[in-house]
Amino acid sequence: MSSDLLNLTLRVWRQAAPNQPGEFRDYRLNGVSTHMSFLEMLDVLNEQLIAQGEVPVAFDHDCREGICGMCSLMINGQAHGPDRGTTSCQLHMRRFRNGETITIEPWRADPFPVIRDLVVNRSAFDRIIQAGGFVSVNTGNAPDGNSVPVPGVRQEMAMDAAACIGCGACVAACKNASAMLFVSAKVSQLSILPQGQPERANRVLNMVAQMDKEGFGSCTNTSECEAACPAEVSVAHIARLNREYMKAMLFADH
Amino acid sequence: MNALLRVLSLPAVFLSKIPGLAPVVRACSTSVGQKFLMAITGLSLIGFLVVHLAGNLQLFAGEAVFNAYAEKLHSLGPLLGIAEVGLFATFAAHIGLAISTASMNKLARKSSYALKETKQGLFILPAGGASSWMMVTGLLIFGFLVIHIMDLKLKKGFGVDYTAAMNADNEAVNSFQAVKAVLSHPVHAGIYFVCLIALGIHLSHGIRSALQTLGLHHKNWNFALRTLGFVMAWGIAGGFISLIVWALGSKS
Ligand code: HEM
Ligand code: SF4
Ligand code: FES
Repeated sequence: MSSDLLNLTLRVWRQAAPNQPGEFRDYRLNGVSTHMSFLEMLDVLNEQLIAQGEVPVAFDHDCREGICGMCSLMINGQAHGPDRGTTSCQLHMRRFRNGETITIEPWRADPFPVIRDLVVNRSAFDRIIQAGGFVSVNTGNAPDGNSVPVPGVRQEMAMDAAACIGCGACVAACKNASAMLFVSAKVSQLSILPQGQPERANRVLNMVAQMDKEGFGSCTNTSECEAACPAEVSVAHIARLNREYMKAMLFADH
Repeated sequence: MNALLRVLSLPAVFLSKIPGLAPVVRACSTSVGQKFLMAITGLSLIGFLVVHLAGNLQLFAGEAVFNAYAEKLHSLGPLLGIAEVGLFATFAAHIGLAISTASMNKLARKSSYALKETKQGLFILPAGGASSWMMVTGLLIFGFLVIHIMDLKLKKGFGVDYTAAMNADNEAVNSFQAVKAVLSHPVHAGIYFVCLIALGIHLSHGIRSALQTLGLHHKNWNFALRTLGFVMAWGIAGGFISLIVWALGSKS
């Protein structure tokens, strides 16, 4: 590689508090190693800002290995940056060119209000989970692992849905700010498995009701969410959510 | 806005009083339920289009055959009236739901991105493929409907000369000649052409979207269903467009 160091211009959204107006601020950052992750690059930016006596850029992160779903960043108009199946924390600076301007924005959706700079409040997802994304089990002794048979394909299907890390990229990328991919992943995961059956109908009804209450948009079936999802959750789950919902709405025994 | 929503919800309030319909109405007040109804009304409208196109293709068979068909249709009397009311109700529901879901979507993101790109490769139209054009193409179809009803139901098309279609009492009763009069008017033919392209775009996303909304998604069937939907969308639009071409050609 001819140049291992990048000189970049970062256009970063700065917003002091939830209901304050924000604006883009341009920062020059020189000598960025191509081996850095995107978040490490932001760390370096913040070191520089602190040294200059400026307020560092607030951004969310936790695991930095693609499993916690915290690193919600819109990078050059793409949720989690340009690569498929990748979170912002797994994105590397070798994906960018020397001299490039990188635009960094928070998720934009009214149910995800900006807390500060690039940090948004994703509690709406937590409330959707609280509305039904669980199974109720009175715990006793640990059951024998083989006492509930699940065919291999069903396990795999449930696992594909359970791969959702709740990052909100699907909402961020969707032109309607719809949360259908997230909700469908959570509904699917439990409706596919035997453990999820007792609460199956109420789960989907309550989770959709909460999703609407939070103010997310409706699904236009554009599949932009699937393309943006770092866990590569398929829109097949949205079709399953639609089936589950109608079955529960029209035929549930309650 | 709230008053408007209250008026729009009156049919729902009324329908929920009919025994057995309450759960259906409840479903319609949710985003998933509304999309479900959009899909069903959209597919019903396609059903109408297929029947309408099949009838109209008889224009190719000449004046006698087409007028006989038109007469048979009109001889249905009240039955035709009921079908028309049903059709208008379906349109009204589809459009009402389109406005309802679209406003829900707008409210969900009031401030937009400075920069927005897509990770999807093959897009037929820019910025989200045909799916971004549903409202625009839908409104074009609606505008077309108004003009079309003026032209061929009320026979009061703007600037159209219906002389060839008239009987001794100056009533435009000859359907074949009326169609020809409208379609050979360059402005009308132009509007019809543009709106039918819009219809093709609307349906090329609409059919595929409706299948997904109704839960029809399976890796064994997706390719076949989507291909069929695409062929159907442009088959319907192309079928109607062929009538414009025919009218232009047979202009004597
Ligand atoms: C012959 C007339 C029409 C047919 C056959 C038709 C068909 C369809 C179908 C099948 C869908 C897919 C439903 C779904 O998203 O699951 C759809 C969606 C839609 N239609 Fe129509 N439609 C017609 C007229 C209209 C009109 C007049 C309007 C608007 C004024 C309209 C606006 C929309 C919108 C906004 C969507 C939903 C877009 C989305 O959220 O994905 N349509 N249509
Ligand atoms: S479905 Fe994908 S994009 Fe949406 S929250 Fe889950 S992991 Fe993130
Ligand atoms: S920081 Fe945990 S997924 Fe990126």
